[in-house]
Amino acid sequence: MIGRRGKALILAYVAFLTVLFLMCSTDLIIREPEREVYQIAVIIEDVRDDNYVNFRKGIEQAAMEFHGDVQFITLYKRLDGDQQIELMSREQQDGAHALIIIPADEERVVSALAQGQVSVPVVLLGSGQAGEGAAGTIAPDHKAMGERLAREMAVRMDEGCQAVIFEETGRKSAMDRLFLEGAKDVFDQEGIRWMTVRAESTGPALSEAVLALGSRGREEGRTMILAQSTELLTEIAGIFGENHGLFGAGASGKTREYGPGQAGSLEGAPSSHGGVGGLYGRGSTLGVLNYLDQGLITGICVTDQFSLGYRSVEMAIQALEAGGGHRRLKLDSYYIEKEDLRRPEYEMLLYPVE
Amino acid sequence: MKGKKAILMAAACLVLTSCQGKPKEEDKSSIRIGISLYRGEDTFINNIRGELEEKAKEYEQSRGIKVTLDIQDAKGSQNVQNDQVERFISLGCDVVCINPVDRMDASLMIDRAMTAGVPVVFFNRQPVEEDMNRWDQLYYVGVDAKETAVLQGWIVVDLYRKDPRALDINGDGVVSYVLLEGESSHQDSLIRTEWSIQTLKDGGVPIEKITGGIANWERSQASALMEQWLDAWPDTIELVVSNNDDMALGAIDALERAGIRDVNVVGIDGTIPGTEALEAGKLLGTVSANKEVYAGAIMELAASCALGQELPDSYPLTDGAYYWVLQEIMTFKEN
Repeated sequence: MIGRRGKALILAYVAFLTVLFLMCSTDLIIREPEREVYQIAVIIEDVRDDNYVNFRKGIEQAAMEFHGDVQFITLYKRLDGDQQIELMSREQQDGAHALIIIPADEERVVSALAQGQVSVPVVLLGSGQAGEGAAGTIAPDHKAMGERLAREMAVRMDEGCQAVIFEETGRKSAMDRLFLEGAKDVFDQEGIRWMTVRAESTGPALSEAVLALGSRGREEGRTMILAQSTELLTEIAGIFGENHGLFGAGASGKTREYGPGQAGSLEGAPSSHGGVGGLYGRGSTLGVLNYLDQGLITGICVTDQFSLGYRSVEMAIQALEAGGGHRRLKLDSYYIEKEDLRRPEYEMLLYPVE
Repeated sequence: MKGKKAILMAAACLVLTSCQGKPKEEDKSSIRIGISLYRGEDTFINNIRGELEEKAKEYEQSRGIKVTLDIQDAKGSQNVQNDQVERFISLGCDVVCINPVDRMDASLMIDRAMTAGVPVVFFNRQPVEEDMNRWDQLYYVGVDAKETAVLQGWIVVDLYRKDPRALDINGDGVVSYVLLEGESSHQDSLIRTEWSIQTLKDGGVPIEKITGGIANWERSQASALMEQWLDAWPDTIELVVSNNDDMALGAIDALERAGIRDVNVVGIDGTIPGTEALEAGKLLGTVSANKEVYAGAIMELAASCALGQELPDSYPLTDGAYYWVLQEIMTFKEN
């Protein structure tokens, strides 16, 4: 038989358990702070995201940590500036709280922001311009990157060796201009002859131009190639991979003809060893790293793509929560050759673990 | 008179009320699709992913409906995949497409989707029938594993009938083969292995199995296995039968390292690297499902579910839930 005191104790115990339950499982006593989930649209300049694996890892990591709902959007056509502007408007209308943009046409995006076409915070990535209309910009020093690559090339160039810069048709942004300016300045300072070949990032014209360089004879001189974009770098390395002997070794043969408008003229090149002595560029996609490992690419300049993705989401959310003026973050860049791939500090940067 | 007016008013109200109702699903101007891949590094799955992105863009352009794809890689972990499905539902995805990590363990994901009323399109790895029968909003897109295996077998049978010495390299009257298998838990591995070999026997190819091993669909694992086998049985292996192209390419890697060129290798999937190896004459043949059709079927099914529309006639379903993608043989000689 339970006495009055016992009953009171049981009641008190039940009441205590109820309070505990309410505290732990409901919002009635201890309210959990409501955290807004920010919708962020990331619009890149490409039609596929294959070159953005590490960048996406960074974005996804930040999205989890900062409660972002990130949508990754690619274009229907590579480097289509008009469509990118349309998508920016569409995403804003569809409720995106912030936009992260890798510009297809930098001038157009910057001008759209300056004209106030987008009212949500925009973080510009890789931009060579100040982008004052944006909430923030994150970019490496493109000019310094071009200078660094050109210096590394210059060290390995024999007398009479020529630098051939492959420029991608349609790329006309400040970041590309600065990168090439840096490289050309160094070539000029070092007295290195250089020329430019313009080509699509893929297609027969590019193949012909690369094969023509690779099959140049001794009398025409050895060349070093600098690719303006990651896409060109990958494609050129792929062409060397399929045509053994054109790269590295002093291949001999006649220069092939290719039509005007397809690529620049290679006449007047100084004589040296023949063939292509080195391929340089920027970017750290898996394809590029594999080609570097296989020796088809000589050296690359890279930035930490994981950090770029992570910081971009962080910056977008900071702009949303704290507001304030334009933020600017400069990314470090690193020069890497084949033997650096296995170095622990670069392994972390090139193959980040989520 | 007043009574008649009242009845008319009531009828008018009834008509108006019935016209309002819930807005039709077809009026949606955007859909969000969550896609979870069992392992993004798998070449075939990566190819399908690329096609899916293309199909989503085509759908957007042709129908004027915005399609948002949330693609996540489960990295071979069922727990991660369960979380991803949970997250897709929390984020308001209209439909979820799942390439299950463990086809026997789809019930938790199905429970979650059923509770939230979010349809599911499974692909590539077929959940068990019991699970598929639990709800009428579960679909599967894939290939018939038996058909795949039989077609793979026919690549070899055809070659043997045309030129036995092309397969029986040492001329001893027997084709000595090794077998590279996918995951042991994947139903396609078992079926592909069984029916591929059965087709060789039925086709009159005198075969003898030297050895076989599980390389989990992976190129590197297959390459390591093949290297061991080449050491253990030098100058003996005449044919490599692989459950997929990635493992076939792994075997080719090992053969190239050993400087061996005349061993025939057959794969399955028709992946881009597989097709390239075919064109280079390194791979005897592969069986390919049309990836455009494959991804198209997933996209159309998912979009129809998301919009609450009838499923398109161009993608007829077997038993109301399964869409089987047609396959074709690709051989080096045809190229």
